[in-house]
Amino acid sequence: MANSKITVPEAIALVLTVFVAHSIISMPQDILATTKSSTLINLTYVAVIALLIGILIYKLIKNFPSCDIIDISEYLGGKVFKTIIGFIFMFYFIFSSSVIIRNFSEGLKEIFYPMTNIVFILLAFAITCCITNRFEFSTNIKVNLILMPIILISILFLFTSNIQNFSLRRVLPILGDGIYSTFITGLGNLGAFGGIVILYFLPPFLKEPEKLKKITIASIFIGTVYLFLCVGTLLFMFSYLDQIEELLPLYSASRYIEFGTFLQRLESVFLLIWVLEIACYLSIFTKLSSLILKKMCNCNDSRPFAYITSVLVFSISVLPANNAIAGLMESMVYKYLVFAIVFFLGISILLLANIKKRRTLNVSNK
Amino acid sequence: MKIKNFFNNLFSYTPPNHYEFSIIDSTSTKNSSSFDTISEENDTKIYPSLSVNLEYMKTKYNVLINSDIILREFTLNARGKQYNAFIFYIDGMIDSEIMDKFILEPLMLRNKNNTFDGSQNKVISEAVANNITVRKVKKFDLASYVMNCLMPQNSVEQVSEFKKAISGINSGNCALFIDTLNIAFDIEVKGFKQRSVDKPENEIVIKGPHEAFVENIRTNTSLIRRIVNNENLIIENIEIGDITRTKCGLVYINNLTNSDLVAEVKYRLNNLSIDSLLSSGQLEQLISNSNDLGVPQILSTERPDRTSHYLLEGRVVVLVNGSPYALIMPAILKDFLASPDDKNMKTLFANFIKGIRLLATLITILLPGLYISICNFHQELLPTELLYSILSFRETVPFPMILEILLLEISFELIREAGLRVPSPIGPTISIVGALVLGQAAVSAGIVSPILIIVVAITGIASFAIPDYSFGFHIRIFRFLFLFLGYVAGFFGIGIGILVYLSFLVEIKSFGVPYTASIAPFENVPGSSYYLPPIWKREYRSSFVNPQKVKKQDKISMQWKLH
Amino acid sequence: MSQISNILKKIFILIIIIVFMIGFSYSYKALSIDNVAFLIALGIDSSDNNNYQFTFQFTKPISSGESGSSEAPPSIDYIVNASSIGSGINLLNAHIGKEINLSHCKLVVISEELARKGIYKEIYTLTNDIELRPSSNIVISKCSANYYITNSKPVFENLLPNYYETFPNSSEFTGYNVKTNIGDFFDSLVCTSREPYAILGGINSESANASTSINSQKDVNEKANSSPVEGNVNSDNSGMAVFKNDVLVGELNSLETLCFLTVQNKVDHFLISVPNPDEKNAYVDIYMTPDIAPKIDVKIVNGTPYIKVKLKFEGNIYSVAKNTNYLDNSILNKLSENCNSYLESNISNCLYKTSKNFKSDINGFGFYARDDFLTLNDYKNYNWNYKYKDAVFDITVESNVKSSFLLNQT
Repeated sequence: MANSKITVPEAIALVLTVFVAHSIISMPQDILATTKSSTLINLTYVAVIALLIGILIYKLIKNFPSCDIIDISEYLGGKVFKTIIGFIFMFYFIFSSSVIIRNFSEGLKEIFYPMTNIVFILLAFAITCCITNRFEFSTNIKVNLILMPIILISILFLFTSNIQNFSLRRVLPILGDGIYSTFITGLGNLGAFGGIVILYFLPPFLKEPEKLKKITIASIFIGTVYLFLCVGTLLFMFSYLDQIEELLPLYSASRYIEFGTFLQRLESVFLLIWVLEIACYLSIFTKLSSLILKKMCNCNDSRPFAYITSVLVFSISVLPANNAIAGLMESMVYKYLVFAIVFFLGISILLLANIKKRRTLNVSNK
Repeated sequence: MKIKNFFNNLFSYTPPNHYEFSIIDSTSTKNSSSFDTISEENDTKIYPSLSVNLEYMKTKYNVLINSDIILREFTLNARGKQYNAFIFYIDGMIDSEIMDKFILEPLMLRNKNNTFDGSQNKVISEAVANNITVRKVKKFDLASYVMNCLMPQNSVEQVSEFKKAISGINSGNCALFIDTLNIAFDIEVKGFKQRSVDKPENEIVIKGPHEAFVENIRTNTSLIRRIVNNENLIIENIEIGDITRTKCGLVYINNLTNSDLVAEVKYRLNNLSIDSLLSSGQLEQLISNSNDLGVPQILSTERPDRTSHYLLEGRVVVLVNGSPYALIMPAILKDFLASPDDKNMKTLFANFIKGIRLLATLITILLPGLYISICNFHQELLPTELLYSILSFRETVPFPMILEILLLEISFELIREAGLRVPSPIGPTISIVGALVLGQAAVSAGIVSPILIIVVAITGIASFAIPDYSFGFHIRIFRFLFLFLGYVAGFFGIGIGILVYLSFLVEIKSFGVPYTASIAPFENVPGSSYYLPPIWKREYRSSFVNPQKVKKQDKISMQWKLH
Repeated sequence: MSQISNILKKIFILIIIIVFMIGFSYSYKALSIDNVAFLIALGIDSSDNNNYQFTFQFTKPISSGESGSSEAPPSIDYIVNASSIGSGINLLNAHIGKEINLSHCKLVVISEELARKGIYKEIYTLTNDIELRPSSNIVISKCSANYYITNSKPVFENLLPNYYETFPNSSEFTGYNVKTNIGDFFDSLVCTSREPYAILGGINSESANASTSINSQKDVNEKANSSPVEGNVNSDNSGMAVFKNDVLVGELNSLETLCFLTVQNKVDHFLISVPNPDEKNAYVDIYMTPDIAPKIDVKIVNGTPYIKVKLKFEGNIYSVAKNTNYLDNSILNKLSENCNSYLESNISNCLYKTSKNFKSDINGFGFYARDDFLTLNDYKNYNWNYKYKDAVFDITVESNVKSSFLLNQT
């Protein structure tokens, strides 16, 4: 339907959602723990690499107009391969959503609702996810577009109102732990750019498919600026983040905001904004899983799958026994998944499909 | 079996049965030169043949579908001869007594003037030469004869181009066409109802006109016609209701409005099997897409200037006989927050007031919920002095905070509803006294705290700032939902509530147009956002209605500045 | 069937609502504003057997109906002996009907005796607490924390929390005390480039002096036991407490605090008394304003830190004598030179005191030293905190006394 096509700002907001959601939890802290005071240099370097990967993905995927990666994998290896890849991506989406809401709910529980069982908070998220997934995909995307500027402004506000607490000298020594740590080990920070996975699924939904390159570059650029702001806030404010791990470090940064004696302790306002963002992220990722399921089962409506995906998300998020395991899943496991699935698997499928297409073209030309 | 059926129905898949309609981008007809204005075509002269003139006028005014255009053909008597003629006018704009007595009667009925025998010609001069007499005779001129002798009407003008005749008809005159004449008569017979129309009751503006619709549909259509002043304005007649057969008018501008939209509205109006239709409110509910959440999807207004503005934007209007409200469709979220006065004021003032209205909407829906969630969960947000004030005032109050706030909100709604029914002489006094006395007495008795009274009063005042009545009602109801969510789960509950509510709002479609049309999906057309740009930038119509003519102003609309 | 499914849907929604109301009920019952008592100050003293004596201060809201009364509300103090902060709060919770909430706690007072033993446990616990604001002021009291808290009375403010929040503000325009909070303290404690410091407080009538002389040359005879200020002042918070890691190692008096703050660029303007070039044994008060931010440069020369500090001030003459022309360049230059020498000597003394006596880099010169290292490992191996005691300082002050205020010539 004409109405359900995505325009360029909506697509950019979709990719940015992933950056924002993970940076609320513990992504900036993980980045800082890896590269300490050379983080800003490392981030620039990693962002350039991510941009190159994004452009590579664009070049590979544009040979298959209006096809997303599930269709391409069907072209490559038939229905069985399509099912396998579909399940892998579905697992990735559901896992990352569950981990996010688990970590965020842990934070919520510790800080704001100490006497509530965490199951209720997770249940609230799961029910929201179920309700929003009963709408069309375009609805979720439009809501995301409406909320994205508010979130970006909030992080800018967080950065600017903490400037009085900044000490810019914390950036020194400039090379942090050394060149090897900054440039080789620091490549692990590429896990922050997991938003690129959305690019695999965008082409069928775009109103103007030729704008995919613009979307890629713009979203990675804005995402990098956003990461700079988050990481910068933490780096300049706290000198101990490389030794001490905090729950929701951006929340700790927001506790310092003070405007005279009237406006203090604004972190509840940030909580409100972050709840909106996490719920948006959740609804989009579970909707993507429903769409993958719909493709795999050859149905024409993805709405009944809303129940399945929300139950799955809820059950996986209840699994970790305590905060430590949940935090480990977010900081370690998620990063490896990004590398394995988003970068390695996705690009290899695209490469192989392109090679196959070129071979068939050569054969047909002969 | 029943249990099996029950489980089957519980877990089976039922395809969605919501009605899908979307306005398709009709690019083929989007051509700025396709707008057929009189000024663009060459000035067509009136033909001497009556049948050709008749066909021309019928086509021009779309007489077959336009319901208030009247064509009266008759035989004109002049000088004993009979000529075919017709007069052309718009019903509701003319005074029929004048037309009958001073136009039709002298032209149709036999009288001294028109039975005058035309065989005697007037001799002007005579010359004799070579026994041959040459006489110069004044030829009989029918046009001047009709004009000078037959029509005792105070203002008659001969026009030789269709353009002038049509503009006369549009302004309330009638046009007389006579066979064999290549001119027409533009006769002044204006008789539409003026100013028995009253001031609008509920939509008061400072700088705009103060006319409002009345119950009679003909008067309403004449009000619209006078403002739009163009022959492409179509008013189709539709009857709804098996018993009452209420007359409804479907109004649109022919070469501007998207034809799919018009067809869809007509389809919905024609497919209502009800016994009676008594008001436009009923019709609004009958043709809305869905009634989820009570969100209004059709704008209803009692101002003709507002109606004309939306007509010129490319929307469709429905008038119902017996109801002073016009229904405008499709209507999106920002229309319900717009006042008819916005375009009359300077942009700076209009945008300031729009910002205030947006703030008022947010306050109405969120303030009680935010207050109770801050007091229950997030006390650190309060400045310490405010916190101690709240604590000290709450010392004497026996109720828990949620009960207190519900008590006050419901009393406020009671006062509001009672105020509608109090007899008018003492109405305002009672409401003021009631509010003051109640509030003061309640605080002194220690039943409620003063801070809460302020919160509820601000919420109530903000709800009055919302221009549209039904939208304001919807917002007032939903603040209870956010109040409950804030009480149970603090900012987390409110956040979840905002997300779900926003999703519902974005999902709604009003006649194929998404409810949050210019905001999401994002439209990069200046003039389509919530805030108004300066008047010289409002070049384009909003694209979500897909009008046939997109540009409404030249790039440089103030041409006088160039010279 | 569709009717049954509709009814079932409604029942399902009702069940969900009830489940959530039950699930969140503990939170909204317990955290509601009616069931919570707000702590405004916390005092920690050491008592016998490694236990603590806590002082909890609350304030009662004035329960007036419509207008606020002009009397200050009473403060309610409790003393609890316990082995840790958590158990202390717990014990008090058992005695009073409402739950204690730390989110409006503006002051944390630790006694000098306890600070000298080391307070890392207390600071870490307080930072771990969710409710406590990182902007709460931290005071080391020369008397016991209990005595300090119970005798602090606001004079110009109605509410006690306002007083606790705003009393260190005078550091911005006098420089005689510091303004520091528990968030900064924790950050400095963990950081390897800086050492923590705290506000030094005492009670006016206490015999142990809370503040020492302010203007060393002029008021040197007034280095009395009590503060030079008498009157309605209760708590006296001049000077600052210097820590090395988490142990209190010394105090700086008001003048030294002023010198410390000028190097930190945390004072907007301050008053100094310099000798009058015209008269002997007479002093001129000059109002100094920092011109630009201090330029600090740290170089490692032969393994020892060589710290160069350049300061620039502008001055206006405050005390005006008879028969003097304050627009005369020579007088102004002489005054400027006197200011320079006065400030240089005092700042130098203060810095050497921190490095030689206290061995504690409270100024944060370690951040500037990072310039000389490429990687964090090199910096850690250098062990700045140990090497600071050998630091050599080079202070340069450039002041420019411009004129007096309204009277230019008498």
